[in-house]
Amino acid sequence: MGESKSDILQGTLDLMVLQTLDAMGPLHGYGIARRIEQISEDVLQLNQGTIYASLLRLQQRRWISASWGTSDNNRKAKFYAITRTGRKQLAAQAQNWERISAVMMRMLRLAQR
Amino acid sequence: MPNADAMPAWLAILVSRVRGLVTSGRQDREFSREVADHLDMLTDDYIRRGVPPGDARRQAILRFGGPVQIQEQQHESRGLPFIETTLQDVRYGLRTLRKSPAYSLVAIATLAIGIGAGTAVFSVVGAVLLRPLPFTAPDELVRIFETNPLRRWTRNIAAPANYADWRTQNKSFTDIAAYEQFNSTGSGASDVFLTGFGEPQGVKSLGVSGNLFQVLGAAPLLGRTFVEEEQWEGRSRVAILSYGLWQSAFGGDPAIVGRTITLSGRGYDVVGVMPPTFFFPGRDVQLWLPFGYTPQRVQTSRRPHWLGVIARLRPGVSFEQAREDMNGIARQLEQQYPDTNTKMGVLLEPLHDSYASGARTALLMLSGAVGLLFLIVCANLANLQLGRGVSRTRELAIRRALGAGRARVLRQLLTESLVLSAVGGALGFGLAALARIALTRYAASAIPLFAVVQTDRAVLFFALALSLAAPVIFGIVPALSNSRSEQVTERSGSSTRETRWLRNLLVTCEVALSIVLVVGAVLLLRSLGRLQDVDPGFAKEHAVTFTMTLPTARYPDSAARFRAFTEIERRLREQPGVQAVGSTSTLALRGFTWSGDTTIEGRAAADYERDTRHMSMTPGYFNAMRVRLLAGRLFDTGDTREKPPVTIVNESLAKRYFRGLSSADVVGKRISFGRPQDNSGWITIVGVVADEKQDGLDRSAEPTAYSSIGQALQNPQTFVVRTTDAPDMAFGKARAQVAAVDKDLALTQTATLEEVVETSMADARFRTTLLAVFAGIALLLAALGIYGVLAYFVSQRSRELGIRLALGAKPAALFRMVVGQGMRPVAVGAAIGLAGAVGVTTLMQSLLFGVTPVDPAAYGVATAALAAIAAAACAVPALRATRVDALTALRDE
Repeated sequence: MGESKSDILQGTLDLMVLQTLDAMGPLHGYGIARRIEQISEDVLQLNQGTIYASLLRLQQRRWISASWGTSDNNRKAKFYAITRTGRKQLAAQAQNWERISAVMMRMLRLAQR
Repeated sequence: MPNADAMPAWLAILVSRVRGLVTSGRQDREFSREVADHLDMLTDDYIRRGVPPGDARRQAILRFGGPVQIQEQQHESRGLPFIETTLQDVRYGLRTLRKSPAYSLVAIATLAIGIGAGTAVFSVVGAVLLRPLPFTAPDELVRIFETNPLRRWTRNIAAPANYADWRTQNKSFTDIAAYEQFNSTGSGASDVFLTGFGEPQGVKSLGVSGNLFQVLGAAPLLGRTFVEEEQWEGRSRVAILSYGLWQSAFGGDPAIVGRTITLSGRGYDVVGVMPPTFFFPGRDVQLWLPFGYTPQRVQTSRRPHWLGVIARLRPGVSFEQAREDMNGIARQLEQQYPDTNTKMGVLLEPLHDSYASGARTALLMLSGAVGLLFLIVCANLANLQLGRGVSRTRELAIRRALGAGRARVLRQLLTESLVLSAVGGALGFGLAALARIALTRYAASAIPLFAVVQTDRAVLFFALALSLAAPVIFGIVPALSNSRSEQVTERSGSSTRETRWLRNLLVTCEVALSIVLVVGAVLLLRSLGRLQDVDPGFAKEHAVTFTMTLPTARYPDSAARFRAFTEIERRLREQPGVQAVGSTSTLALRGFTWSGDTTIEGRAAADYERDTRHMSMTPGYFNAMRVRLLAGRLFDTGDTREKPPVTIVNESLAKRYFRGLSSADVVGKRISFGRPQDNSGWITIVGVVADEKQDGLDRSAEPTAYSSIGQALQNPQTFVVRTTDAPDMAFGKARAQVAAVDKDLALTQTATLEEVVETSMADARFRTTLLAVFAGIALLLAALGIYGVLAYFVSQRSRELGIRLALGAKPAALFRMVVGQGMRPVAVGAAIGLAGAVGVTTLMQSLLFGVTPVDPAAYGVATAALAAIAAAACAVPALRATRVDALTALRDE
């Protein structure tokens, strides 16, 4: 595994996008990509284009919705927002993720001893 | 979306993808704008951070990661790529078809014929053999016949007393019903006259038992059906109308139930009207009446036999069990009534089988034939496609070079086949609908009376199934072969040789299959020819016939009927243009009405003849029909009740009952109608006439005794008028003369004698015509296949042929070589086909007349026809081969 650019599992990226939209409200694709990069403090540097695959997947499941709006600098852009179903999914998946990562941590600590 | 929560994720995805498929173009445009915006923002970001604008753009694209690929991916996961590709292939397929109109036209026409013929035959087969009868649980219904080896009865109608005993003694049926069958042909219905509603109208009516409708499980549209007691004399003046009669004679008046109508001079209360789908036993029956016997008559009449019997199996009782049960009853009756029931057995037959029995073999034969035709169509198309594949090698090779997998190319080729087949199938369905109209108009009498041939949903599905099956059959082999072409440079390598081998194989198959059809068709054509050559025993030209039933109410006794018939005959004879007139109880080729035992004077008491047919006629009949008198005299007006009884017999009777005597010697012998112990009184044979065909041109006449209506009158009588008038004019005159005798009488069964003969051959003509058409098409398709392969062979080797010619080869030798090349698969196919035909044609033995299934002439004619058409197909490309110009051929390289 490389050090700087981590490969991101599909599901992980979906979860990040959901979390971002939940925290920030409606955003356009570029905004979401920037936000994820900022939060990860540039540990994760993604090809920004890949988030569109994630956005499409989430839309097809109706976990997020999309609509055209105007961006800060007065351009028309497509804005994505989390839906009610999306929030439920986010809650469920976040919980899942926490459980797994807790287990992971314990495993790794035990292994170090 | 309000229900978004409730929708499972997979369904949401599917809905979204289907929508994506439809709005694909708009979404692509939107997404590319979104990507452009994203890149702009990213670029601006870099510029803000101080990167020079040109470099900023480049870095933005790098950071984004291949905008084109991402758009492509997005497109694919948005819609349904499988369907999208298919649509693309369909569009491409249509375009390719437009580009080569000759190929497309031939292919589509071929398919339309194959699918159309298949569908047309299916619509008849479905109507006759497959569609359930319009009765409740029709599978439970069986017909019961009497059998008797002594009388050569295999499926005879029953005697009333036997029916009555079956009904009370059986343990297998919920009930058994019966109906009158007074004639060996048709549905057994008789004519009654409906008066009081406009013109007197002849109506086909059927006498039935009171429980018939319950046994059939048939509910009326209006009113009720009969109740049991109404079948007895005294209660039986009730009637049930068919939907057709209700509409035509009573204008669909719903108040008809409860009204009284006059039938042949007697009043009947209408108690019910049946729905339009109902019929029994044939669609010609317009009216049902209880048979109105006395209980005593039903319980004691063990001969003659005149009832059709139909029963419904008890739930849980198998056909086999019912047969056992009935056989037991028949054996018991045999012991109980040796006088009438010796050797009298029963035959049970599922009702549907009984209905379809006459048509089954022919229809199965036609189904098989049309199946072969369909295979030939497929082989031919496969052949065409292989030929085209070769000319498309370049295109397909380029596709593969550009990265299309073999599966992808295969799929494209199969989709093209499907497009062809869809167009051909739609046309074929149209053809089948037209064929149905033609069939019902021109071949109505060849289709059993009960069946209605229609283009319904089942027929549509069948056409659809054929259209889907065809491309799989004809498309798979060429597609596999064609999708293999890998190298652009490939010209005449191994795959072409394989293709040629395949195409020769297909031609062999086509030839083999079509020669089977041709042999079958020739056999049927020869049978039909033999049938047409049969002497029916009378002269069919310039004569019309009609049937006349005298209502019992107004003509209560023989004397009154005799006067009426004689008067009608006299008036008709006096018309200008009329050469001869006569009437008979059963016209030639219309079966028989009744038969009975005959005692021959001078024989031992136990030695009597069974099943002599009886007909009664006016003195003019034999002359009107031009039946030859072999010995003795014809009837004359003097043969009346007051004179000693006389009879004229046909040649079959004379030969069979008086073995070794000449016709002249038979004249003067005495016989009596009945068994020796009946003491019926001697009747003198005064004449012997030539046989008239009775049950069909292909069946020999049965022994028949004729009586004069002056001594033994039967009603109805069928008149024969030999006249120089045109038929319409003749019928007009006849109507006027009949009306002059009694204005309430009507003519029924009007036909010319030629039509009577024609109707008796209708089913033979029907199957022969269809099979001949199929065989013709098959031959044509085979020729097309042969031509295609050979034309390709010549064009492939034009260079070699050109050089040979330039080097001095004789054109005639080249011609022979090419023809030889073409005829090789033909010869192999013909050999296989002829061998196969021997096996197949023995199955159609019962459809043949006057020829054996292995008739050498038929095989010879079929082979000659095939050889001629194949040679013609070879000659064209072979001629071209002899005209190849070496220089042009070389320049083409």
